[in-house]
Amino acid sequence: MTSPSPACVEGATVLAQERLTEDVYRLTVATTTGGTPGQFYMVRSWDREPLLARPISIHKMNEDTVSFLYQVCGRGTELLARLEEGGEVTLTGPLGHGFRIGELRGRIAIVTGGIGIAPTFCLACMLPVRDVTVIAGFESTPYAVAELLTLGVDVRVATEDGSDGTRGFCTEIFDPPAFDTVVTCGPMPMMARVAQLCAGAGVPCQASLEARMACGIGACLVCPCPTVQGNQRVCADGPVFDAAEVIWHA
Amino acid sequence: MLETTLCGVTLKNPVIAASGTFGFGAEYDDFFDVGKLGGICTKGLTLHPREGNPGLRVWETPAGMMNSVGLQNPGIPVFLERELPRMRTLDTAIIANVGGGDLEEYVEGIRLVSGAEGVDIVELNISCPNVHEGGMAFGIDSDVAAGVVAAVRRVCTKPLMVKLSPNAEDIAAMAIACEQEGADAVSLVNTFKALAVDIHTRKAVFDNVTAGLSGPCIKPIALRMVWEVARAVHIPVVGIGGIATWQDALEFIMAGATAVQVGTATFIKPTTMLDIIDGLERYCANEHLTSLSTVCNILGTVPNCNILRRIP
Ligand SMILES: Cc1cc2nc3c(=O)[nH]c(=O)nc-3n(C[C@H](O)[C@H](O)[C@H](O)COP(=O)(O)OP(=O)(O)OC[C@H]3O[C@@H](n4cnc5c(N)ncnc54)[C@H](O)[C@@H]3O)c2cc1C
Ligand SMILES: Cc1cc2nc3c(=O)[nH]c(=O)nc-3n(C[C@H](O)[C@H](O)[C@H](O)COP(=O)(O)O)c2cc1C
Ligand code: FES
Repeated sequence: MTSPSPACVEGATVLAQERLTEDVYRLTVATTTGGTPGQFYMVRSWDREPLLARPISIHKMNEDTVSFLYQVCGRGTELLARLEEGGEVTLTGPLGHGFRIGELRGRIAIVTGGIGIAPTFCLACMLPVRDVTVIAGFESTPYAVAELLTLGVDVRVATEDGSDGTRGFCTEIFDPPAFDTVVTCGPMPMMARVAQLCAGAGVPCQASLEARMACGIGACLVCPCPTVQGNQRVCADGPVFDAAEVIWHA
Repeated sequence: MLETTLCGVTLKNPVIAASGTFGFGAEYDDFFDVGKLGGICTKGLTLHPREGNPGLRVWETPAGMMNSVGLQNPGIPVFLERELPRMRTLDTAIIANVGGGDLEEYVEGIRLVSGAEGVDIVELNISCPNVHEGGMAFGIDSDVAAGVVAAVRRVCTKPLMVKLSPNAEDIAAMAIACEQEGADAVSLVNTFKALAVDIHTRKAVFDNVTAGLSGPCIKPIALRMVWEVARAVHIPVVGIGGIATWQDALEFIMAGATAVQVGTATFIKPTTMLDIIDGLERYCANEHLTSLSTVCNILGTVPNCNILRRIP
């Protein structure tokens, strides 16, 4: 799939801001820039401070909107959470290479941890839903699950505190041999475990990596992902990589 | 109005993309016509390829950022074969930024790069704080720097600009040493050696412990250094450090810079440099200046600066 060319959109209008849990929000913005599942935008809603924009994945999109699902965890996301309908954000994107959808075949597992569930919705929309199982781990209260269920996707939940679904990590309810292809997005240690399980079972796995970014477009080299082919840039060569090529312990 | 001559090379305007913040130019070409820039400095190149530093590479600070990239680059032969031909289609001056681990790597690297068609200026980087051997080690002591510049000068067939470190013991003496050994220009500053501590893990944030600080927070110090150097040498000075607006750029020019480089501010907004160019154009029009050189180094003519002239 060819990716649309990226743009810098100043003053994109906020259409909706929904609070889903204590610290998880969904922001919907008017923009025609779209993208593909797994791609992201550099987002800012402030002027000079903080200095850098924040990378956020595409959660949902259509011809004239993009939604982001995000968790408040610092200055930038706190400022995003203050936005109200009618407010403005600056977006640069869509950026990076998303999931290689053509390679997802047979029974597909999407294994996510926490806010890593963000790109799952737009990805599931492009897959044959009956073949998709989402295995989603959360610390506590789940979010963004109801809509996946309405798509007709099979969703299995694990929570660390046992407040919903199975108590424990999502990797404990993930059985790789039951699937033909796997996608994973979440904290690095969790994805490393998923990659290891998939490698053991010989199941191909695509992982969406996270790294701190400055430019977001491939120019500054602050976001390396060590791979068997040397350092790749998470922002421009990724964020989605073949899990078998990533050097996880580096 | 903005056309500028930098060591014999004509630039469309005095606004240049700083090394390491603009890749090899093509990345930003998706966002704007990079041919509108005065020039582009390449990512720091070394003769041999480098993987760069392990661990975290970026940390945000108030009005700035720290980086620890460590000169990751494909090596000069690969640059010449793959990146330079594409850069040459961008229609802007090409400044090859060259680093090295030891004197021999500098000399061989610059011999190769300066011989390549399409490279307009060579920027000798003796100021990278993020590599263990070489890099900034050559940019602290003026005598050591003089040795590198002299050796490189003998093989460099293009205009040679030396990029200075703000961590130098004496920045003006350093610039004078470079001029004496045949540098055609100096550019300053590279990043400031800085530290961040993770109080939760009780460790330095970066594997290398220290990293390089850039962005708006360094601007006033960088500006003072440019002013000191402009007073000390007769070769052109290129001002770098925290420039984010046309007013910032003009401050550097008034303090003695012939041209400026913009790095971190491009991360804030990809088109920052175009805004700076537009702003400078409007300024010239409003002030009825036929050339920016009219105000270049204008600070030096202010009487109350004379006492400070004694700085080496
Ligand atoms: C490709 C990609 C897609 C992402 N998609 C989402 C998403 O859909 N929803 C979501 O909630 N989060 C997502 N993240 C993580 C998100 O970028 C961070 O949570 C956010 O940058 C934190 O900013 P802050 O100012 O709140 O935190 P602070 O800790 O104050 O940020 C300080 C600096 O560190 C960076 N940083 C901090 N945590 C992270 C992190 N986990 N990953 C990358 N940079 C970080 C910030 O960008 C900033 O430069 C994604 C990250 C990447 C790389
Ligand atoms: C991510 C990053 C990478 C850099 N890499 C190089 C480099 O390879 N060679 C070099 O001479 N300077 C390098 N620099 C320094 C910049 O070119 C510039 O001197 C410095 O950032 C100060 O300018 P600024 O405040 O406008 O960014 C780098 C800076 C940053 C932020
Ligand atoms: S963030 Fe600049 S190269 Fe990835």
